[in-house]
Amino acid sequence: MKNGQKANKIKLSGSDITFYVIAYFVVGAAAIICVLPFLLIVSGSFTDNKLILTEGYSLLPRSFSMDAYGTIFRNPASILQAYKMTIYYTAMGTAVGLFVTTLTAYVLSRKEFKYRNVVSFLLYFTTIFGGGMIPWYLLYANVLNLKGTTFVIWFPGITSTFLIILMRTFISGSVPDAIAESAKIDGAGQFTIFWRIVLPVLKPGLATVGLFLALGYWNDWYRSSLFSTNSSTYELQFYLSNMLNSTTALKDLVVGATISIADLPTQSVKMAMAVVVTGPVLLLYPFVQKYFVSGITIGAVKG
Amino acid sequence: MDGKMEKLTKGGRLEETKFGRKTGVLLTAGISIVLLLLSLPFFDWVYLKNISALFGKMGISRETASTLYQSYSIFSLLGFVKNSNLGILGLYSMILLLLLMGTWFLHISYIWKALRNRFDNSDGKGMLRLYVTGKAAMLLTILLVAGSYGFVLYSNRFFGMKGFAASPLLAVELIGAMAAYAAIKKLEAVERIRCHEHGLVKEFRKNWVLFLMLLPVGVFFLVNSYLPMVGIYFAFVNFNFADGLWASPFVGLKNFEFLFQSQMGRLIRNTVLYNVVFIVLGNVLQIFFAVLVSQITVKWFKKVGQTLIFMPYFVSFVLLKVMVYSLLEYQCGAINNMIRSSGGTPIDFYNSPIYWPFLITLFNMWKSVGYGMVVYLATIMGMDGELYEAAKVDGANIFQRIRYITLPQLKPTFIILLIYSLGGIMRGNFELFYQTVGNNGLLYEVTDILDTYVYRITIGQPLSIGLGSAAGLFQSVFGFVVVLITNWAIRRKEADYALF
Repeated sequence: MKNGQKANKIKLSGSDITFYVIAYFVVGAAAIICVLPFLLIVSGSFTDNKLILTEGYSLLPRSFSMDAYGTIFRNPASILQAYKMTIYYTAMGTAVGLFVTTLTAYVLSRKEFKYRNVVSFLLYFTTIFGGGMIPWYLLYANVLNLKGTTFVIWFPGITSTFLIILMRTFISGSVPDAIAESAKIDGAGQFTIFWRIVLPVLKPGLATVGLFLALGYWNDWYRSSLFSTNSSTYELQFYLSNMLNSTTALKDLVVGATISIADLPTQSVKMAMAVVVTGPVLLLYPFVQKYFVSGITIGAVKG
Repeated sequence: MDGKMEKLTKGGRLEETKFGRKTGVLLTAGISIVLLLLSLPFFDWVYLKNISALFGKMGISRETASTLYQSYSIFSLLGFVKNSNLGILGLYSMILLLLLMGTWFLHISYIWKALRNRFDNSDGKGMLRLYVTGKAAMLLTILLVAGSYGFVLYSNRFFGMKGFAASPLLAVELIGAMAAYAAIKKLEAVERIRCHEHGLVKEFRKNWVLFLMLLPVGVFFLVNSYLPMVGIYFAFVNFNFADGLWASPFVGLKNFEFLFQSQMGRLIRNTVLYNVVFIVLGNVLQIFFAVLVSQITVKWFKKVGQTLIFMPYFVSFVLLKVMVYSLLEYQCGAINNMIRSSGGTPIDFYNSPIYWPFLITLFNMWKSVGYGMVVYLATIMGMDGELYEAAKVDGANIFQRIRYITLPQLKPTFIILLIYSLGGIMRGNFELFYQTVGNNGLLYEVTDILDTYVYRITIGQPLSIGLGSAAGLFQSVFGFVVVLITNWAIRRKEADYALF
């Protein structure tokens, strides 16, 4: 706070100082409010379960215990399976999605494609009108008969109108029309232009859209809740959600172990599970944040 | 008419073309008017023959039969399906009715455009658009006629007798539409040559790679968005898995009636109220924080502040559920923990609906303010710094600078975000509500929204699929209408902000 005032020392008037004091205070407080719940979970995961039961959750662990993590990793088959599946869904969905999104965005960015407005409209229309969730569900589950497959978990998330428009903006920003045009005159086909000229300069766009897709997959639990028929295809978030809902799901953890269900540290295990599930996202967050910021910025400007 | 067309295609002189164009358009518009009138309910397109034998075959009681005795048109098809309980004809009738509405719309817009057309020689592009409308109107009419014939054939075969007949008017429609289609096509061909445009076939041959590149996304949106739209019909039947979508008994608007009599009021109230609060409070907070953060001059503080406020956006709603649980749980939640240690009586949040509107609003703000803040922050960063400097020199203090320079420039962004969120006013944030409330029936009165209701039906109540679809359809149609109205209103006032 001091630094800020010093930097502007000469120009600062009374009301300016009031403003800065308020600004620093409010932003600081908001930042803390945003972090507190995370602290609550992390500290809960390291607290002794009995202490949680008697004295409740607190922001700082009053005793340090790794019991919860020990319980999870004593019998890790089910959580590892969910991890594996989620990584698979994320990788598969992001790869396919990136390909489809970029191809579409490329076509929509080509001026010589006469029907780009028609196609854009057809894409946009899906965002303002739809058949609703039940027809959508029954189409996948009963008509296409995909319930229980892994395909139906990742396929519905491969792209969206927002991401296509975002990618199109990236393409028109990074590949001037003249370059593509001259390549065409030199005899390059559309696919060559796409592969050799557009893709290599599109790294920021690919990173941004790819990260949006990946985050979507990592955080999804909804498709598992609709389409998964047995726990071997569960998404990680759905697995966690189940664990919170019932202690029966927790029982998985003690199968074959030496402790009984009564001794299971139910409260702290829930918190530890949450940490394990969310950890990768929060660890990566500081490094990838800028891509999301640029994506949101570009997406918002272009509508 | 055809003679003139002949001359037109051969003719090279400009005047002649212009003259032919006008006659051609007005003639086809005339045909269009006739076709439209014929499809209005003055005439019956499909009627019943040999009624007593047919009704006997259908197993229809005497009382029902008396309501069905009048011959009927395409318009009463659905009523017929409903009264006779012949679900198998339902979807077919529905499609015919939708086609009919489509033809009305296109005919009216073609007639409207054609009559208002100035036939200004320079505007070839406008003429081409006019022709596209005309062709679409005629094509849809042809489809409608074919569909009606198909309906007659299909239902006759289904009952094994000639119980349904098509009116000769269908043939008139068909001939008229085909003639007009051919005429418009010829006009279009001449116009294309004149302004060096070409049609779909040639375009496809030239750019087939681009079309091919659209194939994956086409498949995706077809499966994920457009095919489910067929399922809108679920909302109009009393669905059962044994008969399937096609043959489940058609019930008209019964599902909607039932919904509105039972819980629709509560669902709509909750969905809309929460959304209004989220939109208003959300935008206010987002702008507030964006302005504050943008004014902070200490680099690291700004960066850390922004990063932390944005962070909740990245975690899943399941994690939010964990947080809510650890905060609000009766025995060991952090809040009750604090209440206890300060000597108060703990609150049983999961049994007290009264707190939830505030709690859910709070959770939503926690999760979404960062995202909106980034959007507004980007707009602020893109603003011209000179204005600020000038205002500073003129002695404006920081509150004035924000009030008169920053906020007005945020208006376009605000309006765009507002339209987007208004379109979704009937669409609740499903994940937020489902993960924080779950299946806690005690709280439904204040937390149940349309989305959670539909989800519960999908997951666990296959018998209510008709009801769930009706709720979903209502949501969709309402949202659609709201988008159209807002966009229309905005285009009238400030065209630059309109979405389309």
